[in-house]
Amino acid sequence: MMTEQLPDEMELATAAHVKYIQSLDTKKDEYDYWLTEHLRLNGLYWGLTGLHLMGHEDALPRPETVDFVLSCQHENGGFGAAPGHDAHMLYTVSAVQILVMVDALDELETRGPGKAKVGQFISSLQNPSTGIFAGDEWGEEDTRFLYGALNALSLLGMTSLVNIDKAVEYVVACGNFDGGYGVRPGAESHAGQILTCVTSLAIAGRLDLVDIDKLGRWLSERQLPCGGLNGRPEKREDVCYSWWVLASIEIIGRTHWIDKEKLVHFILECQDTESGGLSDRPNNMVDVWHTCFGIAGLSLLNYPGLAPVDPVYFRYALPVPTMTQMGLDIFAVSETPVKPGPRVEYVFLRCINSPVSSEWKE
Amino acid sequence: MASHGVARTTGPRTEERRKQDLQKIDKYRALEDGIREEVSNKTYSPKTFQLTTKLLELNPEYYTIWNARRRCLTSGLLSRPSASSSRSRGLSSGSPTNTSSTSYADALSSSSAATTPLDPAPRTTGRSGTTADEAAEDKKYSNEKENLEKDVGFLKEELVWTARLLKGFPKCYWIWNYRLWLLGEATKRFPVPTSRRIWENELALVSQMLTKDNRNFHAWGYRRFVVGALEREELGGKSMAESEFEYTTKMIHWSLSNFSAWHNRSKLIPRLLGERGADDKKRQKFLDAELDLVREALNVGPEDQSLWYYHQFLILNLINDVKQATIVPNITVEQKSEYVQREIDDIKDFLEDYDDIKWIYEALLEYTLALAKLESREATTSEKEDLKTWLTKLRELDPMRKGRWDDVEKEYGLN
Ligand SMILES: [Zn+2]
Repeated sequence: MMTEQLPDEMELATAAHVKYIQSLDTKKDEYDYWLTEHLRLNGLYWGLTGLHLMGHEDALPRPETVDFVLSCQHENGGFGAAPGHDAHMLYTVSAVQILVMVDALDELETRGPGKAKVGQFISSLQNPSTGIFAGDEWGEEDTRFLYGALNALSLLGMTSLVNIDKAVEYVVACGNFDGGYGVRPGAESHAGQILTCVTSLAIAGRLDLVDIDKLGRWLSERQLPCGGLNGRPEKREDVCYSWWVLASIEIIGRTHWIDKEKLVHFILECQDTESGGLSDRPNNMVDVWHTCFGIAGLSLLNYPGLAPVDPVYFRYALPVPTMTQMGLDIFAVSETPVKPGPRVEYVFLRCINSPVSSEWKE
Repeated sequence: MASHGVARTTGPRTEERRKQDLQKIDKYRALEDGIREEVSNKTYSPKTFQLTTKLLELNPEYYTIWNARRRCLTSGLLSRPSASSSRSRGLSSGSPTNTSSTSYADALSSSSAATTPLDPAPRTTGRSGTTADEAAEDKKYSNEKENLEKDVGFLKEELVWTARLLKGFPKCYWIWNYRLWLLGEATKRFPVPTSRRIWENELALVSQMLTKDNRNFHAWGYRRFVVGALEREELGGKSMAESEFEYTTKMIHWSLSNFSAWHNRSKLIPRLLGERGADDKKRQKFLDAELDLVREALNVGPEDQSLWYYHQFLILNLINDVKQATIVPNITVEQKSEYVQREIDDIKDFLEDYDDIKWIYEALLEYTLALAKLESREATTSEKEDLKTWLTKLRELDPMRKGRWDDVEKEYGLN
């Protein structure tokens, strides 16, 4: 790909980004560190994912990671953002994803109230009459939570705890004439919600319900002349939206409908090559969220040196070739199949999808 | 943790800035510790409540603190919802008039009910029994009235305070959620006219928010909730499809690029026509007027995606089998063809003034293919020539989506 012809300053500054992610937990003398504690467990997940994709999974110490995750758990099985924060779907999903990523799911049994409790917490949040999930006991409902629930439950091997058919019905009801999906039935199509809906359908094995050409057209129109992607018509480009759009369009096998080289270029332009990290747009403030999703985007675009990323997260530890055997035939026709990365020993695809955050603002 | 649109700063913090940060951290963490202590003792007192006010003004993203605040309200700051008469009126019963925005409000009222401590003893408002009983009942009644006034005042203050917070943080999910929860509590506790006024004020607030940012998707979603609630029988409501449709007209005239408004319009139309009891003729007239509206707008601003999406909505709704949500359900295939052909001809006219707008070619391509499909035939030779010309133009004007043009070329044999 074209990256071979890129000037030096347009290469991924891996060493700087690794250092940046490592430094995140050392900023306790910054006010912002405390103001963002309600995102700590998500942040750890984003950081770890970035490190795994860059092949530096050991850059954060595993024992401390596991200790921290478990310290966020409540008796009801759910996890909060940090110790002392209430249990919520957003963090419970991140916790499960982290434990899977560092291969420590068993510690739920040995050091916590057990896997079954986690599954119970998640499944108790499904609305039995509509199929949607709430974030916590206070009842906010959103397809972000539905996707998070299906993702985490599939990682735990517990999808039988919930009514998948009902969940699928709800997702379908969120569909719009333009092929996209909104946050609730009746709401405008939005790239972030599209990813949660498409991935949910993928996990449920119901991608046949997606109007692929229509959705592909809408998604491909998100690319702007600068190469970056926006989340809705007439909005500005943003690295994190690039991920929601890119992962969605990859799942439906239409990635060749956008200009991949231009997108690679845009993401690389958003790096802080000296201090590390990526931002929403060039020359803006970096953060771990955009760092993670920028790197994930590059991985999906087959940027050299990055481990592969699974845009759906169909099932934990799923070797690449069996994906079509699992009934996800869509990948077989994709122009850019998820292909094994350069590091052969990295045989398992990791899920990076954690759009389940309170950080969507556009 | 996720910053948007903030310019990158260079160089380390100044020593002064570091000191300021440390001072702020001390104050912030002291507040946090204070709340945590109260919460761990399950003390949801007025003092705890005031601490949450201070902390949330510093950081409205702190969802756990919003939860503590809710518990303060349900553990004593608000009187317990009476089991009697008009005051215990959740939104969870009865049939919704608008199916598109029900379940969240349902969940809100049911889940909050679950966390409200049970009434210590069942009460009745029936006025029977001895004189002494009657006196007791009177006292209870006046107590309830007093409590009600206190609660109304309290919830109104909460709404004013969160509205102020929203001005500074218009995209903070947790503030919007908390407000909806407050409204659910109000509906459960207050007589219908009081709750209704509160929901009406909410509609005014959300209109104000949309004046400031007409695409804020939190605000648009919230608007649909509020309207959904106001439409419900329990709140003495009826359909607001007409007034909401007018609202989208107003928003569109203010800014044609407001796709959020166009979108909401597309969702309202089928309902509107149903409620008007529109016959086939009226429905066609309506469709004609909508097509005129968007075509005129396109004539002025053909580079505006929002307009093309709405145009596409009208055409797709016309030609596809859309269950329930159809604008003109009873027209023949011939009539459909006429409509599409007329739109194609009109869009072709745009080319005289604008020959470098890719959306025009895209629409021509799409509608011409749709027309052939509608008439169950292949594209004619002359249509194919047109299609090839437009595709060439698209490749030239929109090289980023080359892969898509390749696929269209292959699929329809346009090489
Ligand atoms: Zn972003």
